[in-house]
Amino acid sequence: MELTLAQGIIKASALLGAGLCMGMGALGPGLGEGFVAGKACEGIARSPENASLITRTMLVGQAVSESTGIYSLVIALLLIFAVKI
Amino acid sequence: MAKKKNPILKICLIFFVIEIALVYLSGNFSRKLEIGFSDKKFVIRHIDSEFNLQDKISEEFQIDEYYAHHGEKPTLWGSSKLYDFFDRMPFDSTPVGTFQLLRMLLIVDILIMIIVILIRRFLTFKPGKPQILFEIIYGSLEEFVVETLGKDKVYYTPYIVTLFLFLWICNMIGLIPIPGFMEPTRNLNVPLGLGFLSVVIVHVSAIKFKGAWHHIQNYINPVKNPLFLLDIVGEISKVVSISFRLFGNILGGAIIILVVSSLVSFVVFPVGLSLFFGIFVGTIQAFVFTMLALTYIGVEIGE
Repeated sequence: MELTLAQGIIKASALLGAGLCMGMGALGPGLGEGFVAGKACEGIARSPENASLITRTMLVGQAVSESTGIYSLVIALLLIFAVKI
Repeated sequence: MAKKKNPILKICLIFFVIEIALVYLSGNFSRKLEIGFSDKKFVIRHIDSEFNLQDKISEEFQIDEYYAHHGEKPTLWGSSKLYDFFDRMPFDSTPVGTFQLLRMLLIVDILIMIIVILIRRFLTFKPGKPQILFEIIYGSLEEFVVETLGKDKVYYTPYIVTLFLFLWICNMIGLIPIPGFMEPTRNLNVPLGLGFLSVVIVHVSAIKFKGAWHHIQNYINPVKNPLFLLDIVGEISKVVSISFRLFGNILGGAIIILVVSSLVSFVVFPVGLSLFFGIFVGTIQAFVFTMLALTYIGVEIGE
């Protein structure tokens, strides 16, 4: 498959953008989920009888705060597969 | 006690046989294997093992574009005439992908029906294992509904339980190792439809409990609600956020499983990945979707 210069630049910048998108988009959810897990550990240590409730709430909260990372995953997939040259 | 004939087992068996035949006929099973003796050794070799990873991903996830790009004639139920017929339809149709999606949705529906009928038929006072599992699911979701909406609106429970069961089985059905089996939630249309449905139910119940004019005023009256434009955008973003979350999780898991299992073809490592993404992430995401749908209702009509 022969590419002209402009097509090559478009393809390369789309792939680069996908990598940057995933890398930066993974920062926020990682920080947020770690924070939630730490707080849940504190809560369980303070009141071990509520452990199941805290674990359940922690999982739901983590899944919700993960969604920004998932959006960046969708954008990266769009950049890789849907950019036609 | 006379031995009763069980018709449901027969139905399951017939369904299974039909499904295997469909898989063979629709051409997904054509793995080109070379089986024989070479250098006095028994070998099983995959013939076209030189593949492009991107080709493989697009074959798995965009099957119609893959066929159109490679100039290969795809078949539907083993016949290419049927494929041409659906391809010549006036609307923008992608026959193989649609056929696979509809087949998987039908399989999930029939599974749910069989499970529910079995549980309902063998309901006993002294519960067995499956009955205990489903009583736990129903009971805990009912408890959530009562906590969120109040005791007089407990009739929202069947919708919530059905949503949870449907999404749960949808997310876990990719574990079954038949070629062509995929999670229906991997296609964006299914989560988008369910998210749109949940927002429609929110507004219908709000109109029912608060009155039509009282509810619509929130979105058109700048005196009563100065930020009404933001609320309209918020309703749209509810649908987008709830459906893209599920879609992205399931699709990302499927792509990771595909990439890792083509990198390490002969190690059993992808089984663990499949268990993680199928069972753990699938259950969590189905639960989150259900909880968010319930919370959206609760924000509008909660006590």
